[in-house]
Amino acid sequence: MDHKKAHSVRYLLLVPALVFAVAPVYWMLTISLKTEVEQFATPPPWFVFTPTLAHYYDAFVTRGFGQYLLTSAIVAVTSTACALVIGTLAAYGLARFELPFRLNRRLSLWILSTRMFPAIVTAVPLFLMMRDVRLLNTRAALILIYTAFNLPFVVWMMRGFFADLPRDLEEAALVDGDSRLGALVRVALPLVAPGLAATAVFCLIVSWNEFLFALVLTQTEAAMTLPVGIAGRVTQYEIKWGVMSAAASVAIVPILVFALALQKYLVRGLSMGAVKG
Amino acid sequence: MGIEFRNVTKSFGDTKVVDNLSLEIRDGEFVVLLGPSGCGKTTTLRMLAGLEPVTSGDITINGERINDVPTQHRDLAMVFQSYALYPHMTIAENIGYPLRVRKLNPVERAERVKRVAAMLEIESLLERKPRQLSGGERQRVALARAIVREPRAYLMDEPLSNLDARLRVQMRGELKRLQHQLGTTTIYVTHDQAEAMTLASRVAVMKKGRLQQFDTPLNIYNHPANRFVAEFVGSPSMNFIAGEISDGTFVSDALRLEVPPELAAQSRVTMGIRPEHIEVLTSPQEGAVPASVYVTELMGNETFVFLSLGPQRLIARAPAEFRAEVESRVWLRFAHDKAHFFDSVSEVSATKRHKNID
Repeated sequence: MDHKKAHSVRYLLLVPALVFAVAPVYWMLTISLKTEVEQFATPPPWFVFTPTLAHYYDAFVTRGFGQYLLTSAIVAVTSTACALVIGTLAAYGLARFELPFRLNRRLSLWILSTRMFPAIVTAVPLFLMMRDVRLLNTRAALILIYTAFNLPFVVWMMRGFFADLPRDLEEAALVDGDSRLGALVRVALPLVAPGLAATAVFCLIVSWNEFLFALVLTQTEAAMTLPVGIAGRVTQYEIKWGVMSAAASVAIVPILVFALALQKYLVRGLSMGAVKG
Repeated sequence: MGIEFRNVTKSFGDTKVVDNLSLEIRDGEFVVLLGPSGCGKTTTLRMLAGLEPVTSGDITINGERINDVPTQHRDLAMVFQSYALYPHMTIAENIGYPLRVRKLNPVERAERVKRVAAMLEIESLLERKPRQLSGGERQRVALARAIVREPRAYLMDEPLSNLDARLRVQMRGELKRLQHQLGTTTIYVTHDQAEAMTLASRVAVMKKGRLQQFDTPLNIYNHPANRFVAEFVGSPSMNFIAGEISDGTFVSDALRLEVPPELAAQSRVTMGIRPEHIEVLTSPQEGAVPASVYVTELMGNETFVFLSLGPQRLIARAPAEFRAEVESRVWLRFAHDKAHFFDSVSEVSATKRHKNID
């Protein structure tokens, strides 16, 4: 009986939270499917309206949202991959090799400190730097910056996962004749795979959603990412709610799919280290 | 393969974990490094494996200095205390790992894995994952992974310490047979003196990073170089009685005993005598010393008699049928030709010099 009661209390708390979280997404989805007249009707037609795909057609066929989507995908995937490779190697080094002068701790804190100031502080310097190396309006600029901004996160996450891994296993691999890198790739990495997956999802989400640097550093259609593209529909003369909602609805799909695909690892990765064994 | 430690020292900060160790291990020998925890035996093994850098001194294999050779090129195999099986691989993949790393073709790899698995009777486990195995089975897999190739030597770090008592004795026998069969140099670390006695062709006893004695198990047992070795090896432990030697007699508060004439007079000496060299008598006899029974422990095949000799507590081995009440009076006869004498200050054996070399 108590068990049932606890169950109902749990749902009583969960349902409002869920409604709170999903309502904006629902609002966005319905806007993207409504005609402009219905978008502004009062009271708004919550559930019953005549769906239309006109805004999707407008966004992805008439306008260049397909191009933005592609740019976003390239930038997010490449920067995530770079951050994971570099960050994992750095994390492994920090977790496994004892450096002189207590550098393990100092370097780790230094890496973390780069995340301690607000991103906006670096916007102007980065703009000037990118201008000087002629990388303004390129995907490369965004890839570089997203990689740099994701690195501290990757290093700190992965360092923890590696630290929790018994050294014995890699030592056994070395004695068995494998190289350090071989031991990392064949023994350590498969064992921290859930952590790696969780880290990857976070990096991807951050890169995919990033708005500030994308706005500052890319002005041309060819280099614009989806968030900047969507925001660009707010103009002096009109706000294209339908097009924006349609593009935004499409924008959440890749992340959703990726996170669902890695869900199994995600939960394990996030709780890894929390519980030993 | 001959392995030699030449004046090897390992320091962590200011602490010397291994202190000026010199050890020459002959090809095909089964050498056991024995000592209490913290004596540096595992560090010694890890230095040989290349998992721990040497602070000073040299380690050679077949005369070749290997201090700076990275672990993966030393061609040694190691069995870890934790077994260190790769949890994400099947047993077959675990055993085949050293071969895979050496780029042996999959067909031959599978064949050799199978052969080794058959040898250790774990063929039925090949498709499983380590977590599905019992401790004893994991132990066999770890062994199989070590012997699947022909390394220059096997290093074993307390490989049996995680097994229950019965299994440990069984695996101990199998290890000995296996080493006999393979004839490969083996260096085995343990704190269990019984393992050292049964397995080793020679035992290196260590204490606080220093080598105490390096000899055959029998010599270690019968001719301990110092009080530490005498106390550490043998179960139950050797008895020690403090006293002095004058005019060819050992004198303590409760005891007078004739000693070999070549022992010099000495004011501070400790006599050591093993429990089996004290005979417990229930009636007074010529030369026997009176004592009282503290408690007796029946072992089934023998009886341990704990005794009070004045302020001194002793333990003696008696036949299984020996019975005595607590606090009852008994008489002790010491096999004085089996007694050891140690300098009370340096703890070095005074009797050692007339040991027979065998």
